[in-house]
Amino acid sequence: MLRFWPIWVLLLGGLFYWGMQRPNPNELKSVLKGRPAPTFSLPLLEPYRAQYGTEMGVREGLNKPVVLNIWASWCLPCRTEAPLLERFHQQYKDQVLFLGVNVQDKESEALRFVQQYGLTFPSVYDERGRIGIEYGYYGVPETFIIDRNGIVLERHTGELSEAQLQQYLRQVLP
Amino acid sequence: MKQRARTLLHWLAGWLVLFCPQLVLAQPSPNTPPPDFSPRVFEIARELRCPVCQGESAAESNAGIALEMRRIIAELLAQGKSEAEIRQFFVERYGDWILYEPPARGLTLWVWLSPLLGLGLLGFGLWRYLARVGAQAKAPIADVSEEEIARLEAELHSLERRP
Repeated sequence: MLRFWPIWVLLLGGLFYWGMQRPNPNELKSVLKGRPAPTFSLPLLEPYRAQYGTEMGVREGLNKPVVLNIWASWCLPCRTEAPLLERFHQQYKDQVLFLGVNVQDKESEALRFVQQYGLTFPSVYDERGRIGIEYGYYGVPETFIIDRNGIVLERHTGELSEAQLQQYLRQVLP
Repeated sequence: MKQRARTLLHWLAGWLVLFCPQLVLAQPSPNTPPPDFSPRVFEIARELRCPVCQGESAAESNAGIALEMRRIIAELLAQGKSEAEIRQFFVERYGDWILYEPPARGLTLWVWLSPLLGLGLLGFGLWRYLARVGAQAKAPIADVSEEEIARLEAELHSLERRP
């Protein structure tokens, strides 16, 4: 058996290399991908109540693709991402619902964030981050692309780039 | 003088006996759950990863998401769910990754089988080695060359001749 030591070394080396490959968090696959998005209804942040009502969420019969963005005011990438989401919301608001979920945050801080960046797409408030766990989130920001039938097509962890968002929207736009 | 030193030593020993156990008891015992959740919540949370932490379970971490996971566990326990059902709740949302103990199926089956495989290989190697040593010990005398027999006999004779 010792005669084949180079093969053993190669095999063990290969196993070690394979074991050391840590998955890129941006490539973590969601178990929700291809499955119906969890439905929910949460209170909207105050500035959106006049236009959208007191509560909003993902529910059956929306008949519109949804870009669900989980964010918090204390999260730096959320700050760079917010103007991009606002711009795309302005561009596609008739075809796609951009919905923010503010998690594990103080409502007053969330309101300041919304005002600071002039966000017009609606955001709901989830202080405990319960909906994040329903969607199996790892942190903020995280974005889920849901098609018009309510099926999760993509999950994006971390900050979105313009090209990535454009590519995701291409999958859901008619 | 000696008497005084002895008294001082007795006094110190008395202090140590009296206060050391209390000092030990005064230390906060590790892994004691905070009073807001039952110990059972922490037992279940210990088997689940904290999604935003490095190498910390949902029981150890103070991250908001870990706290919420503990809240969910407490709520599900209050609803009468079993530990297996609670673990399944998190697996349905995060996949098997969320479990600290990987399930014995699919790719993670290797994690369970590799120690057995290692033991098997070690046993096989040991068996082969012992078989070879045993075979050498049992080798018939005919396998020894005449030259070696002659040398051994010469050495034996030289030993016998010594006083």
